[in-house]
Amino acid sequence: MSMYTSITIALICAMSGVLLANEGHSQPLTSVYVSLDLKNSDLTKILSAIEKQTSFEFSYTDEIRSITQLSIHVRNKSLNSVLGDLERTANVSFRQFNKTIAVSKRAAQRSALPSRVNGKVTDSQTGEALPGVSVLLKGTATGTTTDTKGEFTLDVPDDGTLLFSFIGYGTQEISVNAQTSITVSLVANSSTLNEVVVIGYGELEKTRITGAVSQVKSKELNSYNGSSFAQQLSGRAAGVVINDASAQPGTNPQILIRGIGTLTAGRYPLIVVDGFPLSEGSSFNSVPPQDIETIDILKDPASAGIYGSRAANGVILITTKKGKSEKLQVTLDAYTGVQERADKMKYANAKEAALFFTEARDYGYVSKDPLRRSATDDRATRIANGASLRELRLNYLQPYLDGQPGLTDTNWSDEVFRKGTMQNYSLSFSGGSAKTNYFVSANYFNQEGIVINNSLRRYSGSIRLDSKLSKRIDFGLSLAPSVNIQNYFDNNGNSSNDPLAGLEIMYPFFSPYNADGTLAISQQIIANTPEDGALAENPVALMNKIRYIRSFYRTFGNSFVSYELLKGLKLKTLVGADLVSNLADFYNPSDVGQYRGAAPKPASAIEGRDLNINYLIENTLNYSLHHGEHSLDAVAGYTFQKEDAKNTSVTGSSIADNNLPNIGGASAFSVVANRYVWVQVSYLARAQYAYRNTYLFSATIRRDGSSRFGNNSKWGNFPSVTAGWIASNESFFPKSKALTFAKLRATWGQAGNNQIGSYSSKSQVVSGNYVYGNSPASGFGATTIGNPNLSWETKTSVDIGLNLEFLDRFALTADYYNSDTKDLLLNVPVPEQSGFSTSVQNIGKVRNKGLELELSANDIDLGAVKLSLSGNIATNKNEVLALAPGQKQILTGTESNFLTRVGGPVAQLYGYHVTGIFKTQEQINSTPHLPGTLPGDYIVEDITGEGQITQDDRKAFGTYNPKYTYGFSGNLSYKNFEFSFALYGIQGRTLYDRGMALQEESGEGFGVPSKYYFDHRYHPVDNPDGFLGQPNLGNFSNNRKAVRASNLFYKDADYLRIRNVQLAYNLPTKWLSGVNMTRVRIYATANNLFTFTKYRGFNPDGTPLDNGVANNGITNNNGLTNTTQINNVLTNGLTSTTYPVARSYVFGVTASF
Amino acid sequence: MKKIVISIIICSLAVTACTDQLYQDTITSKDLSTFPKSEIELEEYVNATYGGLQASGLYGLYMPALGEIPSDNTFDEVPANDDGMYGQLDEFSTTTSNTIVSGTWRDSYQAIQKTNVVLNRLPEITYKDENTKKARSGEMKFIRALLYFNLVRLYGPVPLALGETADPNTYFGQGRTPATEVYAQITKDLTEAIDELPVNAGNPGRVIKTAAQTLLAKVYLTQANTAAAKTLLEAVVASGKHTLMTKPGDVFRIDNENNAEIIFAVQFASGVNGNNEGSAMFQIFSPSGTQSGAKGHNLPTKGLYALYTASDLRKGTYIDVTPAGIPLSKKLTLPTTVITDGGSDIVVLRYADVLLMLAEIENGLHNPTVAAGYLDKIRTRAGLTGTTAVTEEELTDAIALERRLEFVGEGHRWFDLLRTGKAITVMNQWFKDNGKSITLDEHNLLLPIPQGQRDTDPTIEQNDGY
Repeated sequence: MSMYTSITIALICAMSGVLLANEGHSQPLTSVYVSLDLKNSDLTKILSAIEKQTSFEFSYTDEIRSITQLSIHVRNKSLNSVLGDLERTANVSFRQFNKTIAVSKRAAQRSALPSRVNGKVTDSQTGEALPGVSVLLKGTATGTTTDTKGEFTLDVPDDGTLLFSFIGYGTQEISVNAQTSITVSLVANSSTLNEVVVIGYGELEKTRITGAVSQVKSKELNSYNGSSFAQQLSGRAAGVVINDASAQPGTNPQILIRGIGTLTAGRYPLIVVDGFPLSEGSSFNSVPPQDIETIDILKDPASAGIYGSRAANGVILITTKKGKSEKLQVTLDAYTGVQERADKMKYANAKEAALFFTEARDYGYVSKDPLRRSATDDRATRIANGASLRELRLNYLQPYLDGQPGLTDTNWSDEVFRKGTMQNYSLSFSGGSAKTNYFVSANYFNQEGIVINNSLRRYSGSIRLDSKLSKRIDFGLSLAPSVNIQNYFDNNGNSSNDPLAGLEIMYPFFSPYNADGTLAISQQIIANTPEDGALAENPVALMNKIRYIRSFYRTFGNSFVSYELLKGLKLKTLVGADLVSNLADFYNPSDVGQYRGAAPKPASAIEGRDLNINYLIENTLNYSLHHGEHSLDAVAGYTFQKEDAKNTSVTGSSIADNNLPNIGGASAFSVVANRYVWVQVSYLARAQYAYRNTYLFSATIRRDGSSRFGNNSKWGNFPSVTAGWIASNESFFPKSKALTFAKLRATWGQAGNNQIGSYSSKSQVVSGNYVYGNSPASGFGATTIGNPNLSWETKTSVDIGLNLEFLDRFALTADYYNSDTKDLLLNVPVPEQSGFSTSVQNIGKVRNKGLELELSANDIDLGAVKLSLSGNIATNKNEVLALAPGQKQILTGTESNFLTRVGGPVAQLYGYHVTGIFKTQEQINSTPHLPGTLPGDYIVEDITGEGQITQDDRKAFGTYNPKYTYGFSGNLSYKNFEFSFALYGIQGRTLYDRGMALQEESGEGFGVPSKYYFDHRYHPVDNPDGFLGQPNLGNFSNNRKAVRASNLFYKDADYLRIRNVQLAYNLPTKWLSGVNMTRVRIYATANNLFTFTKYRGFNPDGTPLDNGVANNGITNNNGLTNTTQINNVLTNGLTSTTYPVARSYVFGVTASF
Repeated sequence: MKKIVISIIICSLAVTACTDQLYQDTITSKDLSTFPKSEIELEEYVNATYGGLQASGLYGLYMPALGEIPSDNTFDEVPANDDGMYGQLDEFSTTTSNTIVSGTWRDSYQAIQKTNVVLNRLPEITYKDENTKKARSGEMKFIRALLYFNLVRLYGPVPLALGETADPNTYFGQGRTPATEVYAQITKDLTEAIDELPVNAGNPGRVIKTAAQTLLAKVYLTQANTAAAKTLLEAVVASGKHTLMTKPGDVFRIDNENNAEIIFAVQFASGVNGNNEGSAMFQIFSPSGTQSGAKGHNLPTKGLYALYTASDLRKGTYIDVTPAGIPLSKKLTLPTTVITDGGSDIVVLRYADVLLMLAEIENGLHNPTVAAGYLDKIRTRAGLTGTTAVTEEELTDAIALERRLEFVGEGHRWFDLLRTGKAITVMNQWFKDNGKSITLDEHNLLLPIPQGQRDTDPTIEQNDGY
């Protein structure tokens, strides 16, 4: 090819009036219409008039300015033909490169002789070749695009400058400087305004979004190595709080969007995968993070409202990857790493614990009758004086008290926790032909928990196919089967099966193993029986002996056909299904003991099975019209979704031996069967209109019918309207380099929450058998009280937002919202003489308001170093505006210390304010005190000032719901190196650490104390300056029980976490071309590298998990069913020994060819 | 175009079919709006009402403890265990958030509501045999009366609810019903029950006429209406329906349940319905360390054990000691399946109680000889000689002692102390004798109202002193 060929091709194209548009990404010029009326005008003026009416920009050199005296008069003419006219009249040529149209004087010849340049364009982050990138010689119409390998050839003058541009990437200029080979890596642009955002039943250019929508991309997600996208979302989007409430592998984190708008209904956001809304609360683990392309989060009801009665908690839209280009691309991602505990929990050692237990038992004994009893009384004297078991010293501790060397001192945390490994292998193939694209992936993920014998394995795959069957018919199919196998334990605080709860009461005087290396069984139980110390079984033995395997088999998929009825009018039919089959297999053998029970004990076995089928039929009609200054997108549709779930749990007992470790070995059985169905029928419609791409309007309506609601209230309507104004598109808006984009937004909308289980509107009558003599008699009695008027809760929200871009690099998104949720689905505690403890009613009102800011700086060019930064901060304040008529508050929790009161936020921690400790009886006598206060107990503030401490002296101390959350992340690249990091922080959170209140820091002398408590406990002789209550076991007073609900245990759980730090190296392209690879990237990542917090417990995200309650609200004792939780918003922030978040170090490689 | 037409047709057809699907019935539970509607269904509700008595807040666990652990008969070996729920009752440090206090309240009202549902539905349902229908009415009234009798003795005035609940909100602001009104309702229910109930039970464990008579007598006795109580108790004796077992060892034998001495017992069975018809009482009330998960709550005191003389046949059959010398009640049998599946029935009323109540009444009516006669029936059966008590005062003490010895573990002693007005003096002396600095006052005679109920509805006022 001659050196002029490219130019010639360009010229031929230009002269023939054909403007080369890059495939797909931007609007074709034929569908953009302009109206112009200019006489004797400069060409530049005409071009700027076109710029104002369209989203295109013109790029030209000064020589164009000399073209003047042009007249043009067109009305609603396509831009394509307008430019064609101009080419002839002005003797110029136009070429479109995405949103930029290059203008050059026709037949302009360069003086310098061009020379041949070969080059390759890759993605700076992934190293993948980028096909279709525009390569333009600056100031000319000379250019080309890269081929499928990302390569190009162009003849350019030696002193020329090449402009590389591509949708979604920052434009780069490269001086040719006589090079013949140029390698360019483009930096992905995370906030390019022309990106497309998925909005539910459609997508929209980012510039035209008027609601509060946050988008997170695959790259950001996968910089954190975890089992599900939810953990990866942490800190990535303002107003989206991710709480790793129990970090056991395979456990779903809690996702909260814009605060808590409900009290006793579910708080799950709706998760929609490729258009299929998942059943609320279903596991996230089935979607491997590597297969996710983008996550779009609809935060305000106006955006989310298209999902109607399920959208009040926000909507998370997941778009999985699909094939992009024709060329086969194979990508392998493999990483392996190690995880370790990252909490600050520290227990006392054996010597300290021995002193503590002895102090506690002595003081318990003496304080019951100080005049007659003394700590020096021996065992016989104590028994003669009527001492109870817990007032006797533990019989085996004397050697520890004497400081004898060489005694057992087990650090049980070291035995129960371990360093766990984590590995992931993902292999994907993508490619296609002109009409069909495919993406196929296979994934294996294996994560060992940081607790022994605890792990998650996942095998998953996905197939996605998109095909243009004919000019008018599109077809798509996706299928994602997965198997998750969890080696699980219930982190439920029961020390008979939860090794973390076991840590609290497992004394350091015992070993996990016998001298011969076998597991030590029931040693502490036997040793502690004479004095009734903690009768705890060895947690290492529990984890080794008890088998609890949960298997989740899931196939998820959908397919659609879309047919273009008329130009711009498409009918789409989508059918999707989510098939879930789970098996929980539990066996607790006889040869390990349990709390208060030494082995052997009767063995037990549980087998739980779930079979859930959820399917969706959806018909939508899309219409899109772009005519002149008007642009309209509309959608209307009908959807039907049904879930049919069956669960059986069989508990087997009377197991004679441990030969068959499953229900097969049992001879007596009890069965709990649980089935439910829910159906939702919906009609939806939305219109989005833009005038001159400057004034944006949209209106949405959804009408939902749900089987969950009472017969008197099946249907509800959820409307919303939005408006936006792109001020920077106005002609009067000062064109400045500094402020390059400005948009104002406002929305109003309503969305609903229906998460109350399938049958809450009914009075359910369940089995309650009896036995006459020994003959069983079938019995059925009501356990819940129905409500035929039961309906959804409605969230009405106003959102005002602002988007600004400066210098095309810095973007700011700000949103203020105010949401009122009314008709709360409240599980109202009712007077129990009704025969019921609670009743679900539509009652009350909660307000949430907040401010969200997202800031980003992209592609900051510091010479060889390229830098991108982004940060977000969100505040949320919630307030209960009303409860049931006449009801002022709900006080709940075992210690009655979670207060939800009208005028305050949801679930405030409520209790006494401890100000110090009493050291003498005289001091108690002269100070207002709680009934049953002993020396060494706590001084409680007399808030009412009435001279005595009553329940009225309690006050509120903050909530789990943080006042604000923030995230900050950055990406720095230098040559082939890249460094990225992300931080996540939570401010204004208070936790109730019930584990500490009852065990580690109670001073009760039953559980093992924390090191902190031990160091700061008060003891008149051993530690007279201590400020925590004196150890007291036998006579643990009501004062000490009452202050479990006090500031002592309301812990400041603010934290700032270094979520991930990653260093990556992209192998130079020239090394790879020989082996036919397009990209090899090697990376090392540290996740949760450090957490800055004052909190001393296990997990500052700890809060009750949602497991264990089936969809109809009936507790399923095997904890298998992972559906709607009920009734734990009100105890938000209750934590005990919650599985801690792990720190991990990962090394990986990504290779493409 | 054809395709479009087809899809539109499918769409619109689907719409109607789908809208019908919005009405979904429960699948694995029944629905109170359509159940119970027939005899067989109402019988299931009746069974569930009896089943309600098995709840841990009632005769599954707490009731026998509430009736005895505050007294000098039983104590909590490890008072701090289980968050002190038993220990607080034992040591009179009961808090408003004690889970026994809240559990018994809740389970009582849940069972009462079941009786209300049956009584409300009964008139509209046709029974094959009118007598069965009448008996069911009597059974429900007996159970309702028993539960209100417990409630009013434990908590004082309590809310009175007698109808089937349609809207639970209507109970807000109801407050507490005066004790006299509660007693009036108990009396009314039992009086009607006596008329409706059959002499013989259709199945073992069902409420019979003598059960209602005995319970009403106890209610009258509690209200010091000895004349009315005497008439009823004598009718029970005269019915010939009940006799004392010849040996104490036969009364609680697991293979001799529902014997002629038992008037009413809440039924439990081991190994039935997938181990769901037993109680955990044996486990919870066994001395710590003697059984898997044993908690040592509600153990007989050493003082009580010492009161059994060497020749007392009840020693070793009603009560025994572990090798370590810790007394335990033998009225419960070790489960053969799992430890929480105890099969022993919990006896609420038995003939020995009838005789000892008569002894108490006759003594109060200045008939010490007649009283001694009733008393000696129990003593003789226990292998003891006749009472040496002669004066009314001596007999009062002898009868009270005999009740302690005879009914250990059955949850009577605390109610006896309350009924006879001796709780404060007896218990203060007992604590003094046992070196414990615990003193009772008037407020300790009632439990607190559960904090949760006060939080829900502040019109339910708290008892004084809590």
